[in-house]
Amino acid sequence: MIKVTINGREVQLDKQVTILEAARRAGIKIPTLCHFEGLEMYGGCRLCLVEVEKMPRLQTSCTLMVTDGMVITTESEQIAAARRGMLEFILTNHPLDCPFCDKAGECELQDLVYLYGGTEGRFTEPKAKHPESNVDPILARNIERCISCTRCVRMCDGVVGASAISMINRGRHTVMEPFSGGKFDCEYCGNCLTVCPVGSILSRLYKETYRPWQVERTVRTVCGHCGVGCSYDLQVRDEAIKRVIPRIGEGLNRGLLCARGRFGYEFVGAKDRLKKPLVRRDGNLVETTWDEALGFIAAKLSEVIKTHGGEAVAGIASVRCTNEDNYVFQKFMRGVVGTNNIDSAARMGFSGAQAYLESLRGQGVSANVIAGLAKSDVIFVAGGDPTMVTPILGLEIRGAAKKGAKIISLDPAPGLEFFNPHKIVPSLFAEGAVLESLLCRAVSARGMTGELPHLEEAIRAAVSAECAGVAAQSGVPDAEIEKASATISGSQSPAFVIGPDIVQRADGNRNLFLLAALSYVTGGRIFLLSGKANEQGAVDMGCLPDTLPGGRPLAIDGFRKRHEDACGMSVPAREGLSLMEMFPAMADGRIKALYVIGENPAFNLPGGNSIKSALEKLDLLVVQDIFLTETAKMADIVLPALSWAEKDGTFTNLERRIQRVRRGVNREGREDWRILCDLAGRMGAAMEYASSEAVMSEIARVSPVHRDLHYSDIEAGAMQWPYHGEPLRGEASTVSLVTASARPTVGSGRFALLVDRPLFQSGTLTRRSKALLKLIPKATVKMNPLDAASLGISGGIVRVSSDAGSVELEAVIDSSVQMGAVKISNHFEGAGVFGLMTKPPVDPVTKAPAFEGCLVAVEPLKGDAKS
Amino acid sequence: MKSQIADELECVKAKYPAERAALLPALYLAQRKYGWLSAEAMDEVSRELRVPKATVRGVATFYAMYRHKQVGRNVIQLCTNVSCMILGAERLVDIIREKYGVEPGGTSADGRFSLVIMECIGACGTAPAMLVNTDFHESLTQENIVTILEGYR
Amino acid sequence: MEKVLLANIDNPKSAEIGVYEASGGYDSLRKSLELAPDDIIETVKKANLRGRGGAGFPTGMKWMFASKDPKFPKYLVCNADEGEPGTFKDRPILEKNPHILIEGMAISGHALKAEFGYIYLRGEYPAAKGILEEAIRQAEAKGYIGDNMMGSGRNFKLAVHQGAGAYICGEETALIESLEGKKGHPRIKPPFPVNVGAWGMPTIVNNVETLSNMPFLMRVGPEAYAAIGSKECPGPKLFCVSGHVNKPGVYELPMGVTLREIIYDHCGGIKNGKTLKAVIPGGISTPVLPPDKIDCPMDFVNMPKHGSMLGSGAVIVMDESVCLVKVCLRALKFFEHESCGKCTPCRDGVSWLRQVLARIEGGEGRPGDIELLSEVAGNITGKTFCPLGDGAASVVLNFIKHFRDEFDMHIARKGCPIK
Ligand SMILES: Cc1cc2nc3c(=O)[nH]c(=O)nc-3n(C[C@H](O)[C@H](O)[C@H](O)COP(=O)(O)O)c2cc1C
Ligand code: SF4
Ligand code: FES
Repeated sequence: MIKVTINGREVQLDKQVTILEAARRAGIKIPTLCHFEGLEMYGGCRLCLVEVEKMPRLQTSCTLMVTDGMVITTESEQIAAARRGMLEFILTNHPLDCPFCDKAGECELQDLVYLYGGTEGRFTEPKAKHPESNVDPILARNIERCISCTRCVRMCDGVVGASAISMINRGRHTVMEPFSGGKFDCEYCGNCLTVCPVGSILSRLYKETYRPWQVERTVRTVCGHCGVGCSYDLQVRDEAIKRVIPRIGEGLNRGLLCARGRFGYEFVGAKDRLKKPLVRRDGNLVETTWDEALGFIAAKLSEVIKTHGGEAVAGIASVRCTNEDNYVFQKFMRGVVGTNNIDSAARMGFSGAQAYLESLRGQGVSANVIAGLAKSDVIFVAGGDPTMVTPILGLEIRGAAKKGAKIISLDPAPGLEFFNPHKIVPSLFAEGAVLESLLCRAVSARGMTGELPHLEEAIRAAVSAECAGVAAQSGVPDAEIEKASATISGSQSPAFVIGPDIVQRADGNRNLFLLAALSYVTGGRIFLLSGKANEQGAVDMGCLPDTLPGGRPLAIDGFRKRHEDACGMSVPAREGLSLMEMFPAMADGRIKALYVIGENPAFNLPGGNSIKSALEKLDLLVVQDIFLTETAKMADIVLPALSWAEKDGTFTNLERRIQRVRRGVNREGREDWRILCDLAGRMGAAMEYASSEAVMSEIARVSPVHRDLHYSDIEAGAMQWPYHGEPLRGEASTVSLVTASARPTVGSGRFALLVDRPLFQSGTLTRRSKALLKLIPKATVKMNPLDAASLGISGGIVRVSSDAGSVELEAVIDSSVQMGAVKISNHFEGAGVFGLMTKPPVDPVTKAPAFEGCLVAVEPLKGDAKS
Repeated sequence: MKSQIADELECVKAKYPAERAALLPALYLAQRKYGWLSAEAMDEVSRELRVPKATVRGVATFYAMYRHKQVGRNVIQLCTNVSCMILGAERLVDIIREKYGVEPGGTSADGRFSLVIMECIGACGTAPAMLVNTDFHESLTQENIVTILEGYR
Repeated sequence: MEKVLLANIDNPKSAEIGVYEASGGYDSLRKSLELAPDDIIETVKKANLRGRGGAGFPTGMKWMFASKDPKFPKYLVCNADEGEPGTFKDRPILEKNPHILIEGMAISGHALKAEFGYIYLRGEYPAAKGILEEAIRQAEAKGYIGDNMMGSGRNFKLAVHQGAGAYICGEETALIESLEGKKGHPRIKPPFPVNVGAWGMPTIVNNVETLSNMPFLMRVGPEAYAAIGSKECPGPKLFCVSGHVNKPGVYELPMGVTLREIIYDHCGGIKNGKTLKAVIPGGISTPVLPPDKIDCPMDFVNMPKHGSMLGSGAVIVMDESVCLVKVCLRALKFFEHESCGKCTPCRDGVSWLRQVLARIEGGEGRPGDIELLSEVAGNITGKTFCPLGDGAASVVLNFIKHFRDEFDMHIARKGCPIK
């Protein structure tokens, strides 16, 4: 226990902290400028000076640690004079342009000058001039206002690890600049904006259109982009989001955001938002009333059910909708329509992978706290760059690396490049051989505990091969694998971060099995990346063909019975079709009607034209969405829904934390669940809830995992797995492992087609966010410099063709792309990677589509060799 | 696509317990190869040492002896700090300016000389003094400075 | 006094190992390697050796702190950044007597159980780099340093790290940052480098001259060493004298010699028979002295009592022809140029001082400017992150203190009264 006296008051501290922190705990505020909670100590501005007994000089309270018996004074005439002096110095280099400055009203310098008094203008020399830089599409930089506190750089470098900006030059000429001196060309997380105390870094999204005191409403909610679920505040004026700001230190993101979260909100106010229900008349979609639209659906759906049975209907839930929406959706499909043909885009990798991992190691095996990555000493990354798929989770990995954790990446993960990763890059699609070799070595190094006999039996069967022999198939030198293996075996607490790329394979289940086994043998934790806000929620709400809410298998009668009793509706016993199985069923007429909420299968699913032609065969296609997507354009009925910023509810993130989504913007329209309830009523079933909270109350009754979980619990803090309920633990007795080999190649080109998952784009929503669109304005094809050179390509437009079709795209040379592969993202209309993929097979275990077999040809277009 | 400075850098790296420590020497190497620290040069150092390029630039611009624009064939680094100043260094600046048409911080039109005004270069006992490239010239006078500089083409 | 640090330097081959060996070179190292490390530290304490880098910190004490820290490896860093204007005392050692430094570092490395040494050499000494590296190669080839030094079982690896033009890197924590490949921003203290230094390990930074004292100190023993020069602060000392004296240069004299003796006895008095106007006794950061204050004994303990500091022992002598406003301005330009930019008072305050001085020197001074200078300097004093900014303020305050009329006259006559 340390005792110090601050301003005559005794303060007790349990551990050594800075004087600043000690004072804060005693409720005494010391002014600061360069200090910022969470950033590395600096001590440059000299504003926080205090008197410490027995020390001759004033001391900076932000850097000096308390010692027992210290006597501190934080306010005196001497101190005030010193602070006034520092402010006077700062102002010698700072324009007095508060009337024009966007920061006025929330400027720390302005506040301090107000507090300590200005000076009589003793500085009469000319001030340095730096014109404001507006060359960057997102961030404006005003160096005249910069006070050299370096908070932005310490944020970018020390916390985010992007290291895109630095203070250049020295002394009085020190200025913050990105490498280029102009454009930032960075990760655009904008966390520098959060920490800039003055108006030096400004967001061009709201610059000059915004004053802090004009905000009408500040609403705490959760980001709607990826599966991390960062907390932030929506600031609203005139029913439009003015800006998104995080709260310092709060939420699982502790005040950090990524580009999508911070700048990807403009879609909410996009002009092409759907406003009225649309119905197809004479081949065209025309506006109609809710009453008419719902009446139409009720009639048509009832007719299909009557003639073909409920199983002729399928439903696609939404990984962007709330738990409440998804719960009601599956209830509607099961109880009202009478089908288990329910799935969501989580099937693209996440849900099947998770279900499989859970069957091997028990429910909740991937429900690990993201912040726990910081405690890992070894982090194994496979199947994607976490800094792009789930950026804030990526930051946690970088943070761990900075603290000394070793990163092994089974991928060229460019976002981890500067974090000393041990990169193992097997030949294309040969990760499995590396994993098998690692498992084999881990088993001989660590042995097994006997805890999960079914898994151990399977492991023994799988690793009978010679460790080194398998490795040879991967093209990775044995020594490399041995080195990685030694690192993993020597780890106290390894983490395995699994991304989509390693799951979306014909033999994805084998990769998953090996990773599950490796993590089991080494006592590691699993982090399953989730690229969409509520994939986990869609899963947990039972939007799966074989699973009821709370992860209870439909096939076990007891579970189904209990569920029927709890929700008062009957549930068909037969397992439904999974996402990728639905389309063949539509094509051959087994499925006649499809109900889609918040999803865009015509664009977001692989299979080229086969998806569209399957959809064309339907008798009824209903789409609820916020935009007229490619799928909506094909629908018979389109219902306008509300975006996440416009409704209440909850999301469940990839660590299975449940968090509240709150309405920030008021907009006319209905939540997805309300639409479904209305429809149920018209179809003769009573599904009525007063609010989203009431839906959650039912979930808390029906789902054994969510037992007794109410908004009050969630509001009290994010709710972390396992809530109050009971997870299912390793009940499986057999392990389904299908060692199908990689998919045979299709297409005549020489390049394997890979999915690009860039940081700034994730699809339908980001495409309508102007700021993000500026960062990636059009679709590109990325290729390795050597491959490009061999084709004489150095940029410009090229044609990429597969068996499914061809697109013309700008070529981007990128050394992080492996030789023999090209990468295309799935964001731009008419140029999505999935459109090029010939109908992919699915993994027999996870039912996720396999992407590896599609070959494409690339040819430069004449006369446009270089743009 | 082998880096220009990779080989020499290997020996330098071996001197330190951490790669990053080789940054200053690496910048010298890059400066020697490229003549100055262009974006390309700094990018190469960044890749070689796995130090982010903005960080490299931050460090490179902190130190006075790295060049951030093209310089002449010969760099005159003339000290004008107190000991040199009181013995006439300022007059020498004028002579260089007049004779070779080069301003402090600039380069002569023919690219022969660049002139850099230095803080103390540790030759105060034989002031005024200058470094031309890496050669010390001390006890300069208004007469001998021209003779010396004429030796550099 | 026998020349110790500058022995042999008149020999054109003084940098060669053979010349050094011929005059007993590396004998002290051989002898020291037989001693227990702590005994060497005791010897240094007894000899009362004080660091020659400027602050005069007792070397034995610094070593003891580092030695007591349980962390390994420890690093020994020689501060050869010699950037203080007026200072050129380390250069002759580096260029002409490199082996005395290498031997000194090897002895110190043994005493400190440090197996790695770095010489942080300022970028402005390109010739010294080659000379030192060659000398290190020779010493390694002879087995004096490197693995298993002279069969003692102790290792000591030595490397030269070249700075790139930043005075602040003379400050030991900025130096360590720079050694690690970063900008030369001083670090927050505590922790001190003796506990958390280079790469987080205990690190001892000593000046070239300090370390070069070691072979002699170990040869003669602490008593004989302490008998040289002043009592409070003994030993041989290098003084580098520049400016208006007849014989400028580096002089090795006992500590405590007076400034007057240096100027008039050793350097042959003021050049061209002019009169002395002002002396900066220890490098530009130390307070300037008027002619009536030069009877001060030059050592770390006595100089502060006489209103200045020993600093680096760099004596800048100025005769009547010199404009002191201009000198003060030039000094401030230096500090402004060299400010690392980390802390507000130094970055912005020093620049402000320079701008006001430039106006006064340029004939645009205004009444009240001198008070403004004093107040601004006062606002800097005691509030900077490291001593650089403080030093700049003190330069202005001391020039005004001793030569106020010259400033007044510049303002009154709108220009320099001397020309
Ligand atoms: C701004 C500043 C510049 C300095 N420059 C030097 C220098 O050039 N050489 C040096 O030896 N010490 C310099 N020092 C002192 C060092 O910080 C340190 O005290 C010294 O190297 C310790 O060595 P010593 O104990 O042998 O004196 C400087 C200090 C400051 C604050
Ligand atoms: S006083 Fe401050 S700005 Fe000046 S050199 Fe020291 S730390 Fe840097
Ligand atoms: S807040 Fe302490 S020095 Fe800036």
